[in-house]
Amino acid sequence: MLRFLATRLARALITIVMVVTFAFVVLRLSGDPALLIMSVDAPPEAIAAFRASWGLDDPLWQQYLKYFTAILHGDLGRSMRDGRDAIALVAERIPATLALTLPALAIKLSIGIPSGIYAALHRNSLTDRVVMGLAVLGFTVPSFVLGLLLVLVFAVQLGWLPSGGQDSWRHAILPVITLGAGGAAVLARFTRSAMLEVLGQPYIRTASAKGVPWRAVVRNHALPNAAIPTVTIIGFMVGSLIAGAVVVESVFSWPGVGRLLVVAVANRDLAVVQCILLLVAGTMVASNLVVDLLYGALDPRLRQARAGGAA
Amino acid sequence: MDHSGKGHRMTRINRRALLAAPALAVLPRVALAQADQRPSITIAVQKVSNSNTLEPLREQSNVGERVFLTSMWEGLLGRDYSSQLETIPMLAVENRRISDSVVEFKLRPGVKFHNGDELTAEDVAFSFGNDRMFGPNGPNSGSTIRVGETNPTNSGKELPVEVPAVANRSFPGFEKIEIIDRHTLRWINRTPDVTLEGRLARIGSEIGSRRGFAEAASWLDWSRKPVTTGPYKVAEFRPDQSLTLVAHDEYWGGRPPIRQIRFVEVPEVSSRVNGLLSGEYHFACDIPPDQITGIERNAAFEVVGGTIPNHRITVFDKNHAQLRNPLVRRAFTHAIDRQAIVDSLWAGRTEIPKGLQWSFYGDMFIADWSVPNFDPAEARRLLREANYRGEPIPYRLLNNYYTNQVGTAQILVEMWRQVGLNVQIEMKENWSQILERSPTRAVRDWSNSGLFSDPVSSLVNQHGPNGQQQQVGEYANEEFNRLSSELETSTDRARRRVVFQRMLVIAEREDPAYTVLHQNATFTAKRKDIRWKAAPAFAMDFRAQNWGA
Repeated sequence: MLRFLATRLARALITIVMVVTFAFVVLRLSGDPALLIMSVDAPPEAIAAFRASWGLDDPLWQQYLKYFTAILHGDLGRSMRDGRDAIALVAERIPATLALTLPALAIKLSIGIPSGIYAALHRNSLTDRVVMGLAVLGFTVPSFVLGLLLVLVFAVQLGWLPSGGQDSWRHAILPVITLGAGGAAVLARFTRSAMLEVLGQPYIRTASAKGVPWRAVVRNHALPNAAIPTVTIIGFMVGSLIAGAVVVESVFSWPGVGRLLVVAVANRDLAVVQCILLLVAGTMVASNLVVDLLYGALDPRLRQARAGGAA
Repeated sequence: MDHSGKGHRMTRINRRALLAAPALAVLPRVALAQADQRPSITIAVQKVSNSNTLEPLREQSNVGERVFLTSMWEGLLGRDYSSQLETIPMLAVENRRISDSVVEFKLRPGVKFHNGDELTAEDVAFSFGNDRMFGPNGPNSGSTIRVGETNPTNSGKELPVEVPAVANRSFPGFEKIEIIDRHTLRWINRTPDVTLEGRLARIGSEIGSRRGFAEAASWLDWSRKPVTTGPYKVAEFRPDQSLTLVAHDEYWGGRPPIRQIRFVEVPEVSSRVNGLLSGEYHFACDIPPDQITGIERNAAFEVVGGTIPNHRITVFDKNHAQLRNPLVRRAFTHAIDRQAIVDSLWAGRTEIPKGLQWSFYGDMFIADWSVPNFDPAEARRLLREANYRGEPIPYRLLNNYYTNQVGTAQILVEMWRQVGLNVQIEMKENWSQILERSPTRAVRDWSNSGLFSDPVSSLVNQHGPNGQQQQVGEYANEEFNRLSSELETSTDRARRRVVFQRMLVIAEREDPAYTVLHQNATFTAKRKDIRWKAAPAFAMDFRAQNWGA
């Protein structure tokens, strides 16, 4: 088990280093932060002073070395836009993003999984077709289209809810629904597929043939076995809690991490972008690790295989 | 008896008082609310501030101008936003030329800062001083402060390095402010400069409170809640989110008509329009021309606004193999049907200006100048004369950095193709890629502003030897550069006009550096029942004379 964890952590570190390096190279080579932050109309002297002050005139490898050394010392740098500490800037946006993504995750789980199970248990019925039809719709309609449609109906036409901003809990309703709908659709489809696969297995037939009540068959045999692919998807969803609302935050003018990322990338504000990427990568890696551990808990064969491998 | 009776009465009174207490506590607020009947408004903008500051020396942008000029910051001189942006007195009631390098100003008496202090010459000296503008080395030191262990924009009062650079570019010959008395001061330049009055009306010349700056914990704190003299003061600034201004009731120009103005950042156009239609916003800014008809289909709303002091231009790199010959560049300028672009993409709501100049240049405005006429036959003739044989010419293009940019580019390429120019669009992501020096740099887009009432503010600043186009290596012309220098330093006003006219001939006709397409415009959607007039600029004027008018 320890060896398994150590391998996973080593992989996670390599992933994070690659993310940091890739983002640095791409952002630095694709735009000059001085021109983007100061604007093309700024006096040439101001642009030159900005470049010199932030070390943007140094060779790229020197900038990278300096940046990477600072990261190893826990210093993620400062925003080139206003000089604020990048970690503080990102940290103050996290609650706003979680205020959308956590309720949206709850919607995804509470709607997606039960409807997927229900559709699988009533395969080819009208209910199955309606649920899957809605799931395909939710899966294929881009979030910015759904968001704008919801605004048109509930804010502009009916006037029930605000169209954007973050002034009250009512402002969160439409973005949460927008975020939740797509994820619920994805989960419903995956859950249904996983359940159908499991329901076709011989051990389900055996259990039924032995007279085990259908509810018990589903609860004790089908659901645990169908959980593995579903848990994988949920892992991705949990991993994207921090930066999974970029488009929705823009459509609804919600001041979260996603909008900060858009502004920071547009300005090549490297420290802020890197800080967000590290956070996202860290969350994703942690989430994947938890998912891997859950696999073992859900499937004894995997647990035994790991134990055997470690022995 | 008396005692008990009194006590009994006291008890009854106290009980009533107790019951009435909550109501009494609310009363003053209700009374205040009733006394202040002024409206509060919400304005949806694409961006409040690019730099996340409200200091004009750092935030030299259109979006910054919108939220802080006329509302927060004021200078000794200002611009007439109700007319054509002519220079007018603002915090100075009188300005008098002592010599070609000295101007004396008399301050408006009784002007109060947001902190209650009266404006004095000391505040003006502070505003143009090292602490706020030029840094420890003073004007034109030419030195750059390197970001070190402590961040100059985040701790203490050190200025961000861009601020002295902007100040030195804005006031290149500044020497000092000499205080004559509490309300009189002299601006002293090292060199003669006939453009001083214009420069003192430009963005970056505004006056702040000396005590306000001293009491701010850091430059960043100051820049986010500056203490100024404008009709509205900062109540709350949430970077990348919103800016709330409240009325400064001691404003020298009269009680502001609006109790609270809230600018909220709504990056998406459709979200701004939806918010306006649903009644959440009173104004929605940065409306593209193609949205105007849709909004005005609803009788309760209208779109106002129009031209701003900024011209869209096409820029040439005369070092490109096909553009070395000025005849080819001249062909470009004659092949453009500018009116067709204005009519088709701007619904006729903007204008074709008289070259790179504005009427607020006053005596320096060349009224009989014009952009090259649309003459495809002449364009073809020039190309024949240049022996151009259809070699490809790259056109580096951003995805709608400017309003209608891609649509305009597509029309231009087709118009150029009609006369035989083989121009090929290359989409780029940002300005670094547009300006990157390489043999494939040939044609690009840009816009130029008239920051003050003299051609130095545009033609010299943007295209002269120290302007961007020459700094990035796209253009140089010996005579043009010599005249640039003369325009900046000469005090002979008649001669300056001749020089400017000759510079226009060189840069727009003989050896084109650029060609002007049209004047830029900005549009604001609003409820029709709000009586408010858009200025010919980005600045939104919410002073008494422009509200309910």
